[in-house]
Amino acid sequence: MTCRRKIGIRGVVLALFLLAGTSARAEYLRIELKVFGLDCEVCARGVSKSVGRLSGVESVTVSLKKGILEIVLKRGNTFTMSALRKRIKENGFRSMEAKITAIGSYEGSGFHVLGSDESYDIGKPASSETSAVEVTFDTH
Amino acid sequence: MKHVLSTLCLSAVCLWADGHGPAFGFSTATLGEGDASVGTAVMWRSGVTMIGPVMSYGITENYQLSISAPFHLDHGEHPVGRFTGMMPGDPEVEVLNAWRFHHHSSGVGTRNEGTLYFGGSISTQTPPRADGPPLHRNTGLYVGAAGGHVSRKFYAWAGAGYERHFAWSQDHQSDALLSSFVLGWRPALLDQEYPKPDLRFFWETTAEWVGKASRFVASPITDTGVHSHEEVISVPQPAGTGLIVLPNSGEESMYSGPTVLFTYKNVALQGGVLFALWRDVNGVQPADRLRAVASCTYYFLGGRKK
Repeated sequence: MTCRRKIGIRGVVLALFLLAGTSARAEYLRIELKVFGLDCEVCARGVSKSVGRLSGVESVTVSLKKGILEIVLKRGNTFTMSALRKRIKENGFRSMEAKITAIGSYEGSGFHVLGSDESYDIGKPASSETSAVEVTFDTH
Repeated sequence: MKHVLSTLCLSAVCLWADGHGPAFGFSTATLGEGDASVGTAVMWRSGVTMIGPVMSYGITENYQLSISAPFHLDHGEHPVGRFTGMMPGDPEVEVLNAWRFHHHSSGVGTRNEGTLYFGGSISTQTPPRADGPPLHRNTGLYVGAAGGHVSRKFYAWAGAGYERHFAWSQDHQSDALLSSFVLGWRPALLDQEYPKPDLRFFWETTAEWVGKASRFVASPITDTGVHSHEEVISVPQPAGTGLIVLPNSGEESMYSGPTVLFTYKNVALQGGVLFALWRDVNGVQPADRLRAVASCTYYFLGGRKK
């Protein structure tokens, strides 16, 4: 997956929390996903409802004018970006770039979201941090 | 609350639309996978009133199945073609498959789409006719296609569909070809963020050809008292028997007019009127100067899966 780093390692080291039995859970926290094709209220409602049914989703906010879904996730969820993109496709729309906040760890040049099999190439961290951190980045 | 709204939409007293596109013309399928809708349309033209319940289900995001069953409240002597792109003008049960073969979301709020329609129908009522007994029930096949562009500000769709009837007992209902062109817009003032009520306006133009109907009139049985094979086959068929084309059937016409679509939460209300621009009626059927439709649809959104 091709990714580019934005800013933002918030510097919160969460290793102890994550190692205490929650490492089987994915740790996506917040996603802003651009969606092409949403033209009306019924379409937005359909997407909002179906994305809201994905496991681990706490809330979904849709901006029709910006074409953006803001998804807030519960801690310790099993959410995956691939499931989200599939759900958008099932609604007849096209998912584009996303701004993701997640907890994970760096493995080489990739950022691996904890508890999932999804990782993103967002470049190396400023520090040589190898434990779990909360990171916000952009991805396509 | 959901059940109450669904019941209202399905009942004949709900005077309100059947989708979230144009009211009369063709558009592209829009339900997501696992989404469904139920609705009722009231369709009216001079002397003819029909109620058209319709149910749709999104099997995938590109394949939708719809069942409609319009029936007459009042009937007239008008040439009967399609009432809308998605609903027959005859009292029939129609199963319509919609395959969105092209789908490209090109920007925020913007899509270009193309859909093919294929369906079958069977008559459910045999309306009385002034020129003789009712025609026997027919089955029908329907094929159509639509393409369009949608955005937050403007909409444009064009499409056409052909319904061919097949006789059960050699009576033949009119075949029909309906084409449409629809322009729509959402004024900037009404361009609201979700979840706010959404109001759109359309200008719809339809062009229609309705073929002539025909009736099979059997020869009266006469016994000449002569039963030799040679003489029986030489008896000529009496005049006025066989397949008789009904002179008061069929037309060519164009209609144009405004429609409006209001959606909020899971409900869509739609209505509009088309005025006759041009009509060329075969025979002496009554004038059909306008057509109107009002409908109400309830959507079951969110898909079927966790």
